[in-house]
Amino acid sequence: MITIGIPRALLYYHYYPMWRTFFTALGGQVVISEPTSRAMVAQGAARLVSDTCLPTKVYCGHVLSLVGQCDYLFVPSVKSIEANVYNCSKFLGLPDVIRAVVPHCPPVIDVDIDINKGQRPLYQAIYQVGRKLTWNPVKVRRAALEALEAHSRYRTMMHEQSLTPIQAIARLYGEGEPGPSAPSVPSRGSTVAVIGHPYVLYDEYITHRILQRLLDLGVRVATPEMASNTELGLGVERLIGRPYWTFEDEVVGAGGHYLNSAVDGVVSVVAFGCGPDSVMLEVVQRYVKRHPTHPYMALTIDEHTGEAGLVTRLEAFLDMVKRRKRLASCV
Amino acid sequence: MGQVHVPLTTAFRALGIPVVPPPPTSKRTLSLGAKHSPESICLPFKLTLGNLIECLEQGADTLIMPTGANLCRFGYYARVQEQILTDLGFKFQMVRTDLFGSKILGVARLIKQLAGDAPLLQVIAAIRFGLAKLALLDELEREVQRVRARELEKGAATAAFKEAISAVEAAPDPVSLKEAFRTYSERLRAIPGDAASAPLLVGIMGEFYVVLEPFSNMEVEIELGKLGVEVRRSLFVSHWTKFSLFLNAFGITEKERLHRAARPYLSRDVGGDGWESVGEKVLHAAHYDGLVHLAPFTCMPEIIAQNIMPAVNTDIPVLTIVCDEQMGRAGLATRLEAFVDLLRRRRSRGRALAPSGASHS
Repeated sequence: MITIGIPRALLYYHYYPMWRTFFTALGGQVVISEPTSRAMVAQGAARLVSDTCLPTKVYCGHVLSLVGQCDYLFVPSVKSIEANVYNCSKFLGLPDVIRAVVPHCPPVIDVDIDINKGQRPLYQAIYQVGRKLTWNPVKVRRAALEALEAHSRYRTMMHEQSLTPIQAIARLYGEGEPGPSAPSVPSRGSTVAVIGHPYVLYDEYITHRILQRLLDLGVRVATPEMASNTELGLGVERLIGRPYWTFEDEVVGAGGHYLNSAVDGVVSVVAFGCGPDSVMLEVVQRYVKRHPTHPYMALTIDEHTGEAGLVTRLEAFLDMVKRRKRLASCV
Repeated sequence: MGQVHVPLTTAFRALGIPVVPPPPTSKRTLSLGAKHSPESICLPFKLTLGNLIECLEQGADTLIMPTGANLCRFGYYARVQEQILTDLGFKFQMVRTDLFGSKILGVARLIKQLAGDAPLLQVIAAIRFGLAKLALLDELEREVQRVRARELEKGAATAAFKEAISAVEAAPDPVSLKEAFRTYSERLRAIPGDAASAPLLVGIMGEFYVVLEPFSNMEVEIELGKLGVEVRRSLFVSHWTKFSLFLNAFGITEKERLHRAARPYLSRDVGGDGWESVGEKVLHAAHYDGLVHLAPFTCMPEIIAQNIMPAVNTDIPVLTIVCDEQMGRAGLATRLEAFVDLLRRRRSRGRALAPSGASHS
């Protein structure tokens, strides 16, 4: 059986159910790298230029851990998933970078996903991926439809049951880390929205388990996936107009949505040196300054982020949220 | 950016639109820009924001900022800068033009709109005159790059070029423009130089803005000239306008060669100039002694290029210089000196160079 390696990083959190369904439907076996560890980050960082952003270094670390574990490595180049919207260079150049920096790299299945080129190239791209497992276009088509179905089920599940991607994946396949578990302290009624890209938010190693910490402190957590696409779209519309980036929803959209909702505070988590986020977050922060309705905190993480500093800031923020809530209930 | 204001002011003046020439990019521009910019944004954003603030301070009421899709953060600049300037309390109108989508017709339409519907012929004549100035300036600059490496009295070529810029900018009509060009190219050629020397050849490449705006790269070309190095680059504004505004519309692209060269290592466009940077390393190994790669700090496309470049096994040293507001002149000079030493040693060990005439473009 042909094994296909998928690194547990970057777009894994967006598309894992879709990719898994596709490859298994074609008779392949999917191999996932282990959750991020210190060694992975160190190895990934050692292979790339130091200016590279943390998520890419993490991705590289995951790829290194898959070398020798699989026949193929699936590294797509996702340019756009909507018309006239484009993606950060790191997603576009990912297959080429991996090939350039990973020694003894298994053959990479690289495929261009670009809606702007039209439907035909997209179908061709999908077939090209399936071609590694079967020559039969009908089978590929069936697998692709199944995969699409799995993807929309996954998105709906996260939105309707308020699950994080990790929880949803665990429920779907009963594997991987369980993610934030039930709170150890009963919730005291505050809800904090955490916005940012899934590959940052849900990587427990690089964020020092920020979501779990919030839950343990008795706070309910809302993440971008828990809002519907319409709500996120409206958020983008409100703050900037037409989206420019592929994942604008997760920062500007979620910011625009949660800053106009009933949550008690908003925390943004971004990786240091992230290109798209440097501008997207500015839009969110300027909106917060103009409409100071919610307490807001911006966390920037990189491979040197200290756990203690992060916890202190989180606690201070929650104190502010609580005080503000008490004040509001007095009035 | 560079001398790009010359053709623009010329075109607008010819149509009777008052233009606020931005004060040359300076330390003040940078500190204004950096103060009001997002923390980890790239240097071009900070400098252009500083330019815009200085224009508004001098009374401009309309700002033109190019945007576009399929770029890098640059396509997002105008939106964020508009918000920043509004928050600072400026009153203005922001004209965003999609230069890359609409090509020259878009530019003509834009200028026509600003000129209050001047006749199209007049608009075209104005643009042509502006572009002619740009082309002549770039031709002069090429000569300056050659003279700088050989001149006996360091700084003579740079001084002459500075005068040439103002003379060209001031030229009211094509005849006096030609006159100014002739005067200054003769003056450059008359600068006494060491004719016998065969200076090192270094290619400058990388991100568009930091390559073309001398302030942003701490005048790296002048610094290299002082070290007796001849600088070449394929990026010139006139070259770029020729292709981006005209020829690309017919499917002719100057970058095809670079892309083809880069393809074995980087098979797709990654936005910005990352693809071209990889291509330059592949193509120019035979023509140059070394390459200086300029990139703004946190520039995504150039980081991708930087990651891939070591895998390109052509025999040419590359010095990557990351530009931002924290850059120091002394540190840069030291790095350049060390790099030039390395190139000298390589050459004295007898690395064969192709005849310099065989270089690109």
